[in-house]
Order: sequence, then structure tokens, then C-alpha cells
Amino acid sequence: MQQKSLTFITRQAPYGSNKAKLVIDAGLAAAVFEQQVNFLFMDDGVFQLVQNQNAESISSKTIGRALETLDLYGIEQVLVDSVSLEERDLSAEDLAIPVKILNAEQVRQLAARSDVVINL
Amino acid sequence: MKFSLLVSTSPASSQGAMTAYQFARAAVSQGHEIYRVFFYGDGVLNANALSTVPQDEINLPRAWDELLTNHNIESVACVSSALVRGILDPEESARHKMAGVSLLESTQIAGLGQLVDASIQSERLISFA
Amino acid sequence: MNALHTISVSPTSGLLNSCLRLVCPGDGILFIQDGVYHCWPPCLVDGVSQDNALFALREDLLARGLLGKISKRITPVGFGRFVELTVDYDKVINWS
Repeated sequence: MQQKSLTFITRQAPYGSNKAKLVIDAGLAAAVFEQQVNFLFMDDGVFQLVQNQNAESISSKTIGRALETLDLYGIEQVLVDSVSLEERDLSAEDLAIPVKILNAEQVRQLAARSDVVINL
Repeated sequence: MKFSLLVSTSPASSQGAMTAYQFARAAVSQGHEIYRVFFYGDGVLNANALSTVPQDEINLPRAWDELLTNHNIESVACVSSALVRGILDPEESARHKMAGVSLLESTQIAGLGQLVDASIQSERLISFA
Repeated sequence: MNALHTISVSPTSGLLNSCLRLVCPGDGILFIQDGVYHCWPPCLVDGVSQDNALFALREDLLARGLLGKISKRITPVGFGRFVELTVDYDKVINWS
């Protein structure tokens, strides 16, 4: 199968809407079909990464479990926009899964070199 | 050029679905090919055959049905998004012992692989929300 | 590879700033739906470099009473031109 570089941008907080889940599911599907997947957390999307979440209290599935599957599906490029972290006073130590933190120039380059960018 | 469209909003609650439809019409009128329309999340409600609207408003699912049929455009409603919103084809309706069928005839229910395939096969993927 | 960015929500969302973090020289930005509220006053697009062409969907401007009053930097386009723009640029990134 032809391979393209697909970048998924997840920009929504985890539980108030289903957008976060939609982006994860789409990213995982792309990984299953052996595409080159970049998964970028940006804006409120970085709230998905915060440690110590337990969504049982709101009868929802804790997002961290879904995020751990990114690695299981072989997605190596799990990326975070540094500006979004700084704006929310978060740092690498606050995050639940290993990620690569991208500076402004790296974020711009990522978008520029992707064949397709899906930003729900 | 070969396009695919990703539609993720409901016709009843935001303008994005209508924008997608208007874009699709403009693209086919210019002779472009639409490889696939993928309805995702609330977007699957664009494929709700049971939607009824007041007489002076456009019934977007019906409009999509006509456009998709007339131009032989493939369209897919994401299975997980569709089932949870009650968008069922005859097969899913029977499987879940439901009373009726609600999916447009022009649309199929399928998985996210069809979105990935559309991204790969098309020269442009255009998202509407 | 240059992108056309479509922004479909009003300036209150702050999404233009998010979008600009991905915008490269030569990219274009097209305002659609409530995104056309970026078209006036002109200061709303001050942060966009002159390297980036700005467009707004005519149908959405017309609907919102904005067609006669938009920043000089922004070019109104119809759906036909919208389709052409998606061909002219190498990819399309939606912000909503």
C-alpha cells in the first residue's frame, strides 16, 4: 500500500466533547494501515496528557488508556507543542505518557512536510 | 483532481455540513472527482434518512443523497459514530434487533480504514466542521 | 508544500493564533462560516505576515452583512474559487 505522512492534531480537552477520542481513533486506524503517523497535542489537547486522571467519577473512560495505545500501535511520533504547554503552566514532568516536545519551528516544519493534516 | 471530504458536524447543529455539501457541488461542477465522502462523529447525521425538516428549509441528508447518487460518489458513515447515533443499515439494524433502518441508501457503514484509504488515494482531503 | 488553512470559527476562539503557529511563508488562509468575523476590523489579521494571502468565502460574508466592510488585505471568493484554491495549494488544513 502507498505510504503517506499523516499528521493528526488533537486540540480538545478530553471529556467535555468526543473530539479527543475521534482523533485518537483516526490516528490508530492510520497506524494499522501502516502510514507514517504524527500525533500532535496542541492547545487544550495537552490536557489529555495530564497525570492522575480518573474519569470513572463521570462515568467516562480515562483518556490515558487510549493514549497508551498510540505506542502499542507503533506510533513513534507522539508530539506536543511547547507553546501550548507553557501557556498552561505544564511541563514534561506533568505528562502521563512519553512525548517529544516540539518548539515553534519544529511544529511549523511538521505541518510543512506532512502530506495530509487532520485537525478535527 | 481527486478529492475526498471529511464531514464531522451535524446538519442540525452547525453550518459545516452545509459548507461541505456546497463545496462538493462546486467541485463536481468543475469536473473534479470526489473519491469518497467520509462522515465522522456527529457528521454521520448527514446520512440520517429519517431526518425531516420544515418545508422552507433544505433537507441536507436528502440533498446529499441526490448529489451522491447523481454523481456516483461513494460515501461512508463511520461505524462506531453511526451506531451510537442510531444510524443503522439493514444489516446493523437486524444484528442489534432494532425496529428500523435509518441510513441513506447512497451511504455505506464502514470503519475508519475507509478514511485512511481516502487520505491515501485522494490528492486532497478537505475537512469540514 | 504550501497549505491552505480554513478557519471556520469567530475570533473569540483564538484559533487564528493556533493556526499561525503552523503557517509557513506562502501558505494561504481562507475564512469560512463564522471565521469571516475575522474580516473586520482589520487589526484582527495584523498578526498575519504579508507573505500569506487572505481570503474569505463570499457567501458567508454576504449572509452576515459583512461583504461591504472587510479589510483590504482580504479577497472575497465564491465556492468555485474555494475549490480552485484547494487545488492551487498542496494541502488543506481546517481549524474549527
